[in-house]
Parts: sequence; C-alpha cells; structure tokens
Amino acid sequence: MQRAAHTALYDWSQIVGPAVIRRCLKCRATLQQSSRAFSVIPPPRDSEEKEMLDRILRVDHAGEYGASRIYAGQMAVLGRTRTGPLIQEMWDQEKKHLEKFNEILAENRIRPTALLPLWNIAGFVLGASTALLGKEGAMACTVAVEESISEHYNSQIRALMEKDPERYTELLKIIKEFRDDEMDHHDTGLEHDAETLPGYWLLKNAIQLGCKAAIYVSQRV
Amino acid sequence: MAALLRGLRAGRALRGLGSVVATPTATTPQCSSLRRGFHCAALRLQDESKSDKPPSSSSTTYHEHYQAHSTEQDTTAASQEDSASDPAAETASGPNTSYQDQSGEQGEEYETEEQLQARILTAALEFVPQHGWSMEAIAAGAETLGLSSASTGMFYNGAGDLVLHFITHCNSQLTEILAEQHKQVQLGQAEPKETADFLRDAIETRLRMYIPYIETWPQAMSILLLPHNIPDSLKHLSTLVDDIWYYAGDRSTDMNWYTKRAALTGIYNTTELVMVQDSSPDFQDTWNFLDNRIQDVVNMATTAKQVECVVSLKNLTGLNQRR
Repeated sequence: MQRAAHTALYDWSQIVGPAVIRRCLKCRATLQQSSRAFSVIPPPRDSEEKEMLDRILRVDHAGEYGASRIYAGQMAVLGRTRTGPLIQEMWDQEKKHLEKFNEILAENRIRPTALLPLWNIAGFVLGASTALLGKEGAMACTVAVEESISEHYNSQIRALMEKDPERYTELLKIIKEFRDDEMDHHDTGLEHDAETLPGYWLLKNAIQLGCKAAIYVSQRV
Repeated sequence: MAALLRGLRAGRALRGLGSVVATPTATTPQCSSLRRGFHCAALRLQDESKSDKPPSSSSTTYHEHYQAHSTEQDTTAASQEDSASDPAAETASGPNTSYQDQSGEQGEEYETEEQLQARILTAALEFVPQHGWSMEAIAAGAETLGLSSASTGMFYNGAGDLVLHFITHCNSQLTEILAEQHKQVQLGQAEPKETADFLRDAIETRLRMYIPYIETWPQAMSILLLPHNIPDSLKHLSTLVDDIWYYAGDRSTDMNWYTKRAALTGIYNTTELVMVQDSSPDFQDTWNFLDNRIQDVVNMATTAKQVECVVSLKNLTGLNQRR
C-alpha cells in the first residue's frame, strides 16, 4: 500500500492531461482558500463541472451587465421625469448584482463573455429607445426583460437543484435572492402601467426573444 | 498445451478477484480483452523476470486475444507484432477487467495508459537534441524504460504528442513557480513585484525552459502549427497566458480580460520567435527585446488613460453632463 502511494506520488509528477487540470485547480483552489474564508462556488471536481459553472456564471454576469445598461439607457431619457427615482432605484439594485458577479468571476477565474461591448451598446439602445416611448414603454421593457431573467434564473436553479443542492447551496442562495429581486422589478413595472402601452404584446415578445438569443450566445462565446 | 490450460484457469481466477490482484502470482497480470492487449504487453515486458512461464506459441492473432484468457501469448506477441497500432488500446484505462479503480491509483505495478505515455514521453525528451522532435526520440525513450520501440504506436500524433507533452510540462512547472512566489508574497516573505516586472520574469522563466532544446525548437514550433495540433497548442497557450495574468493580479471581468491576454500572447509569441534566432550570450538580446515589448504595452496603457481626446469627445457628446 505504501509502495502504491509512493508510485502514485512518483507518477504524479509525470502525469499530464486530467491530472494537470486537477493540479491547476488545486493551485487555484488553494488560492481561493487563502483569500476568502469560503467561496460561493465549490472548487470544481472535473472539467465538466467547471464548464457548467463557467457557463452559468458567465451568462449571469452578462445578464446583469446588460440589465444595468438597459436601466442606464432608460435613465438617460427619463432620468429627470417623475419615474426617474424609481428607475434609479432598480438600477442601483442591478449594479449590486453586477458587483457580486464580478467578484465571483474574478475569484474563480471565469472568462467573461466576449460580447460584453455588444451588450453594452444593445442594452443602452434598448433602454433608451423604449424610454422614448414614454414611461409606459420603459416599464414594458422592464417587465419583458425581468420576466426573461427570472425565467432564466429559475431554470438555472432547477438545473443546480437537480445536480446536487448541497454542493451548490451558496450559489443557489445567491441566484434565488437575485431572482426575487428581478421578480420585484417585474411587479413594479406592471404596477406602473406597463400594460397600457399600445403594442405591449408585440414589444414584450420581441424583447423576450432578443433576451433568449442573448442568453444562448453569452453562454458559449 | 498445459501452459495454455494453466493460463486459462489463472485468468478466470484472476478475473474473479477483480481489482484485488496486486501481488504477482504465478501468471502475469491477466488481460482478457483486445483493448488491454497492448498495454499488458508493455507491462509484461517489464514483468518478464517475474514470470515463470515460458512463452508459448508465437503465432498469436488478434482473434486469440479476443477469445482466450491466456496471457503467455502476449509476451512474445509484444516483441514481434504491430499490435501497438491497435486503436482500441488507446481507450484502456487499466489492465484488469474490474472497473472499480479507473483513476490509475491501483496496485503498485499498475498504471494507466496516460501515465505510461507520460513516462515514455518524459524519457523521450532527453533524446530530442539527438533525434529531433520525432518518433525516433519517442522510440529511444521507450527503450530506456525497457519497453519495445513498437510502443511508439501508442502515439497517433507522433511528434505532436511529444511536443504537446513538453509544453504541458513547462506550463505546469511555471504555474508551480508562480504559485510558490504568490505564496511567499502572501506570507509576507517577499515583496510584490510591479506588473511589468512580474510579466517579464514570468515570460523569461518560461522561455528559459526551452534553452536545452533551442536547436530543435523551430521544428517543434512548426509541428505545433500543423492543423491538427493547432487547437491543442492554442489551448495550452491560452492557459499559460491566463495563469500568468492571474498571478500578476489581474481580476478584470470586462474587455480588459481579453485585451490583456491578447497583448501578452503577442509578446510571448514574438519573443519566442526572437529567441530561436538569437545567438547572443545567454540570449541577452531576447530578454532585451522582451523588456522593450513589455514597455511598449505599459506605455500604451498609460497613454490611453491620459489621452485628451477621449475626454473632449465625451464633453462634445454631452456624456459628461451631470443629470
């Protein structure tokens, strides 16, 4: 048995392939442990889990970034009206979410999506153009986007729960909390006459289609 | 014939024991499937001294491998046949039929296919100055381990496998060194370096690992540029650059992530090219070139921050207005 351990240790220095990945993850894991008491996501056991977690967090990060830009666009148009403070409040919450994801990405060495500049511009343009339709337009945009995001978070929660709820408790807690915030925004939008916008149904579905496409692409690129 | 029957009986008994078998019994490790055929052959060459069975008929065929549970036939087969080119052997992960211990940390004499390949490739590295990055080097390496030179059949990618193995080895060495330095800084036993210095030292350390093979390195580089090797070499390059930036302290989560890594990749590749043509003592020209390139990038970064026109553009378009 000792000889086995000895041989295993000797070979350990020769092993390449999955063992190198394991070693690098060990280095990364030790760094995580030394810099924080606990981490939101557990050190991945293998490259498959790492890829799954990477995708989840990459798309969430992109989503919060996009949402932040949408509110920025809305504020640019409606910032000085009565709805200004309301939009500002929702924007501040999105900024908090984005900060949290920035932290997680940096800590776990996850690559952010390469399409961030695209979401930057697209989000701002979406927010600004719907705000140009008036307060109802901005609220309709909010309702559509927040509904997409909540649905997306829900499917992530389902996927993680299916895999291993205990392993991902921290991450699940965060996603649930953010999903609840997004649902609040959705309800706020509805309260503030989103549905009275003419063409509400069309706009909402168009925006949701765009969100689905954005989510699909951000997971991969 | 008696040997054959003994082998069959022993093979069946061993199968029953499954992964418990670690001690050498009367027979050598059994392998009852074609997939394990080659791997067992390689091991058997090592265990030849332990075996008390004379090798029986040498007219082995693949069919016999498939069906018979006898093991002696493989001994002679290994030294003669080209079973090494058997594609199925690649997928074996252990010499016994039990699927419990597939991680490779089994008994003392067993190792996985990957570990064996790694050992052969590491041994082959010392023959690279002599034979270049080629199958001859791998064959020579295999022979120093006591294996037949037919084991080179395990490596479909041939020289590409050797070069990629070397690259991975260098990368993991660099990661270890950087992690160690990082630990020293965190423990307060060392001063944290400036980013530019850190990058320069990291790339210098990494490129110095090529010095023993610098004569043949152009050949290695061209092997890495072959179409079927490009995905792997790009992957290793991106891991290398990501590691260096991570230990340099980069925690960006926006486009800077990409621009920083792109810049460092450019620096690394050009410096590598300069190095293979460098004939100055201790590659001093290369390190000077590296210094200059890193300085360029640092200058560009600081200038971008200071550029006036960005601010005035913002003023023009009204983006700086306070709302």
